[in-house]
Amino acid sequence: MSAILGVLLLLTAASGTAVVLVRDPSRQIFVLAANGIVLTILFTALQAPDVALSELAVGAVAVPLLFLVALMAVRTGHREENSGEGDAR
Amino acid sequence: MSPRLRLAILGLALLALLPGAAATIGHLPDFGSTIAAYGETINAIAPGERHVANMVSFINFDIRGLDTLGEEFMLLAAITGTVVLLRGKRGEGNTDRAMRLHGRAMLPRSEAVQLACRLTGPLLMMFGLYVVLHATVTPGGGFQGGVILASGTMLAYLGEGYAGWRDAVRSHWLDAMEGGGALLFALCGLAPMLVGAAFMQNVLPYGTFKDVFSGGLMLVENAGVALAVCGGFTQLFLEFMEETRVPDGPEEPGEDSA
Repeated sequence: MSAILGVLLLLTAASGTAVVLVRDPSRQIFVLAANGIVLTILFTALQAPDVALSELAVGAVAVPLLFLVALMAVRTGHREENSGEGDAR
Repeated sequence: MSPRLRLAILGLALLALLPGAAATIGHLPDFGSTIAAYGETINAIAPGERHVANMVSFINFDIRGLDTLGEEFMLLAAITGTVVLLRGKRGEGNTDRAMRLHGRAMLPRSEAVQLACRLTGPLLMMFGLYVVLHATVTPGGGFQGGVILASGTMLAYLGEGYAGWRDAVRSHWLDAMEGGGALLFALCGLAPMLVGAAFMQNVLPYGTFKDVFSGGLMLVENAGVALAVCGGFTQLFLEFMEETRVPDGPEEPGEDSA
């Protein structure tokens, strides 16, 4: 059990660092989701299934999704502004 | 502020905080060695006092129910704020066309994706309902189940596309779910006072240990949280997704205060 925990803690550190080091926002979102999944497995291994369920739903699905949509909204708005058609927001 | 000054301030702060942090960390119990006294107490009293097998729900909905009520309204306020902010400029109308980047081909959705979403979507919703209903028996509860249900609606978007998803998800229903859930939770606090008990006192029969119907008032509070979280998160998804739709026409002038 402790070996699994060690590996999981290392994975958490690695994926957390990766979120910071990846500079392209759209890739960063997927690294963030991966970090959420690693945290979910870690919480499960630490016998906290309630927290794991929350982390899986919020950290790996909801937050990346909202970031993805926000990024998409910013890009489409920006592109329309450049091409001069439609209302830029 | 120059980088050197910033580093100097960081160094000073670290020097000042380090002894306290070291002392605190030194006195922490070893990793995974013991269960805290509070946890031991909860484990000891929950099955006898409330016939509940999930200690986390016992804490959230019973002995610290007031805290959860506060969190409930925090969520309500946060989502209301987001909706006001995003919908303020856009209005309440909707179209079924999503915006698209120029020059990017719109590939039709593959049948495999559609099939996978149609298969897994209902199953995920079923699992969400299971997590909600078994709040007092197995891990999970209103919040976790509610977020799973909200994620399930996103599978409809993935499988059916923007128009299909928009047809299935009605904004007014989500408003009603979100507000109604929070109201239900607040009423769970007030209703016991009608029969002379304290605020949020568990006056309903506790049911049988390890049964779906156990925990009394907790089940009603749990349903309120599930409604509010499911409605709230879906509303959040909806408002964010609406940001990417094509505007109906020229936006009304003079509304932009920024």
